[in-house]
Amino acid sequence: MSILFTGRATGAAAKKISLLRRFIMFWLNHVRQAIASLGELWRTPSASFLTIAVLGVSLTLPATLHLLVKNMQQISSSFTQAAEISLYVRDNVPANQVQSLVTILQADQDIAQVIFVSKQQAMAEFQQISGFGAALNYLDTNPLPDLIRVLPKNTAAQAAESLLQRLSSERIVEFAKLDIDWLTRLNAIVSMLQQAVAIIALLLLSAVLLIIGNTIRLSIMNKKDEIEVMKLVGATDAFIQRPFLYTGVWFGIFGGLLAFLVVEMMLWWLQSAISNVTALYQSDFSLQAMSFSEFIGLLLIAVLLGLTGSYLSVRRHISAIEPTGP
Amino acid sequence: MLQFDQVSKSYPGGFVALDRISFRLEKGEMAFLTGHSGAGKSTLLKLISLIERPSAGRVLINDIELSRIRRSQIPYVRRDVGIIFQNHRLLMNHTVFDNVALPLVIEGFTGKEMVKRVHAALDKVGLLDKVRCLPATLSGGEQQRVGIARAVVNKPPLLLADEPTGNLDPDLSKDTMRVFEAFNQVGVSVLVATHDLGLVARMKYRTLTLKQGRMINDGLLQYQEPV
Repeated sequence: MSILFTGRATGAAAKKISLLRRFIMFWLNHVRQAIASLGELWRTPSASFLTIAVLGVSLTLPATLHLLVKNMQQISSSFTQAAEISLYVRDNVPANQVQSLVTILQADQDIAQVIFVSKQQAMAEFQQISGFGAALNYLDTNPLPDLIRVLPKNTAAQAAESLLQRLSSERIVEFAKLDIDWLTRLNAIVSMLQQAVAIIALLLLSAVLLIIGNTIRLSIMNKKDEIEVMKLVGATDAFIQRPFLYTGVWFGIFGGLLAFLVVEMMLWWLQSAISNVTALYQSDFSLQAMSFSEFIGLLLIAVLLGLTGSYLSVRRHISAIEPTGP
Repeated sequence: MLQFDQVSKSYPGGFVALDRISFRLEKGEMAFLTGHSGAGKSTLLKLISLIERPSAGRVLINDIELSRIRRSQIPYVRRDVGIIFQNHRLLMNHTVFDNVALPLVIEGFTGKEMVKRVHAALDKVGLLDKVRCLPATLSGGEQQRVGIARAVVNKPPLLLADEPTGNLDPDLSKDTMRVFEAFNQVGVSVLVATHDLGLVARMKYRTLTLKQGRMINDGLLQYQEPV
């Protein structure tokens, strides 16, 4: 409705249009403007590509670091599984007492798994691995103790240690062992890496924000005359903003896709090198790629950054442009 | 409908562009605004289209004071006022159709209704055959008429023109004025700023003359044959 001329119906609202139709038109208009912004990018391919490439590279680094941490965690979690407690049983303890301890431990709520290795089994295994072979047959008695291997449910260092305290006080246990220093160190390193990655990611993502903001600012400056004309014929700031916001969104989408492609190519390139290394360590480690939800997350972050960057820029610069006259 | 009440405008540095201007333009009236360059014609038009704000006095449209219009409301005021610029101010990398359609797109028109209105406006200025051209391929007079079509496409009740015949030969100037007359005859108020005194005098409309920011004449201008 006009402010100055009461009764002068203005705009499309003047026509009697049903609510549903107006709703559809609203979204149709947005889709049209989004496609128009895409066309605008297409018309300046070299400049658009440069911006997208910069965004892609800036997003690739955090994505790669994220994968690095994820794979590190996979390795370190396979290590913490090895954080088992070994209980060495005293000599000359009757077999039935050992068995009853095993049964008690199996029922314990803090314990995930109990493996009993009798001294005979231990001897057989030792014979096989050590290579002494028949030489061991000359021993009068078996010097190895019975062993109970306990895997704690909670593999965190402190929980494992308190369990260790409890188990070592068992009467028939000579001593209990847990390599806990090593575990604490590993956990500390992993958590330090995680924090470093978070800081670097934060820096790079704010770089993306600034790059998009600056690119949008330049394109606003390029279209200064056009914006002035639009303001003179009665365009609101919101109307003028919209194509620029869509441009930011497109930058985000393409930058995110590019980052994804680069990461995938990098993984493909490294795959054979990494499998060589892991084969040497006889590990069953396999490189984990980006999952689908991580891919969607990457795109969402990129789009959000694109939108925020362009919004910050648009808010400042579009209201600053005022037509200077007929 | 349009009223100036003791309006002054001075710029930083002490230059007085308008000095206590008062006049009324009634609904459906057509008037010329003349004066030498720098007399304040453009400034007066800028006050109506809210590009500038007056230093003193009141500008009213339909008894609504323009100084009460908030910044966020300015676009809606400009939709009620069609403005024609001396240097056309067309979007050079868009077609004639897109240029004329711009005010309609801004107001949310789409599809057939928009096409119908754009074609009607271009038909009035006689440029229907150039609808797909780029402005750069048109002559100066044709560009000016595209500007007129854009100003009238959303049927504003008030039409302002700043030197619309500035770059045109006499015949084209006359044609352009005829276009304004035609709009005036369907009830649009028209205010044309021009320094083409001969044309103004021949047209026999009310004429406001500015000299160094003061209104020195309000009424019909006597035509003097060039000596």
